[in-house]
Amino acid sequence: MTGTGAAPRPWVVPVLGVLSVGALGVLAVLGLWVAPPDAVQGDAQRLMYLHVPAASLAYVSFAVTALGSALYLWRRTRAARWDRLAAASAELGVLFTGLTLALGMLWGRPVWGVYWTWDARLVTTAVLFFLYLGYLALRRTVLDPDARARRAAVAALIAFVDVPIVHYSVEWWRSLHQESTLLPQGRLDPQIGGDMLVALLWGFAAFALTYSWLLVWRYRLVVLEEGLDEHLLDQAIEERRRDGAPVPAVALPGPGT
Amino acid sequence: MEHAGYVVTGWIGTGVVLSAYAVWVERRTRRARRARAGADGSR
Repeated sequence: MTGTGAAPRPWVVPVLGVLSVGALGVLAVLGLWVAPPDAVQGDAQRLMYLHVPAASLAYVSFAVTALGSALYLWRRTRAARWDRLAAASAELGVLFTGLTLALGMLWGRPVWGVYWTWDARLVTTAVLFFLYLGYLALRRTVLDPDARARRAAVAALIAFVDVPIVHYSVEWWRSLHQESTLLPQGRLDPQIGGDMLVALLWGFAAFALTYSWLLVWRYRLVVLEEGLDEHLLDQAIEERRRDGAPVPAVALPGPGT
Repeated sequence: MEHAGYVVTGWIGTGVVLSAYAVWVERRTRRARRARAGADGSR
């Protein structure tokens, strides 16, 4: 694997953390108190300010994973940092997709009368969740870093096919799920206004900030763990040399790499 | 607030999930740093 890539600067994580927590706090005030209840759905609609940004950031996470994977697979840009970025973003994508599903179920119960229904949007989102869980599992099964990165990159690009299917599922099939609130039929035509729109837009910003924070932090952790594995491997080889034992030409990475 | 149970569960649950993830990453970071310091010290 080529290209080690540097860890982000240490002050970035705490600064982004403070900004994220602050933005999420403001979102709670806007979503729970400032925005009025929906005329039809009442207060249950207040879950929209979390559900929609979480779903959007799940798309962004998987798009970053696909981009990182494509850059890793392309010989000219192949570098370990793209694989790390893809891995870190995929984990966050799974986190946001899980939140999207859970929040959608909590919203669906008072509005639809059920937590779950075999609707195209819900099913394709659940498939997306399990596809990327599989991607994360795949990363844990292969020890060789190059083979792992290559296989994971191919898997990520295949899994990404489901993202547009999830997004357009409400237009392609008859669905219980409502169409996009901001982009119905792909046109920028917000179906809400006033404080509701402000709260939703703030939700996007707060979740984007939170995603950036967790992504930088998670990326830094991958760099740290990879550095530790290489360090331990170097030490083991050095000890073998000191003891006069033969050192294999190709050293296998240790567990957890 | 009508449907308060669902709304409050969703909001608090989101906070708990995001916090738990952040704590998990922080713990793993500390563990990796400690392991690195231990490995350097054992040389």
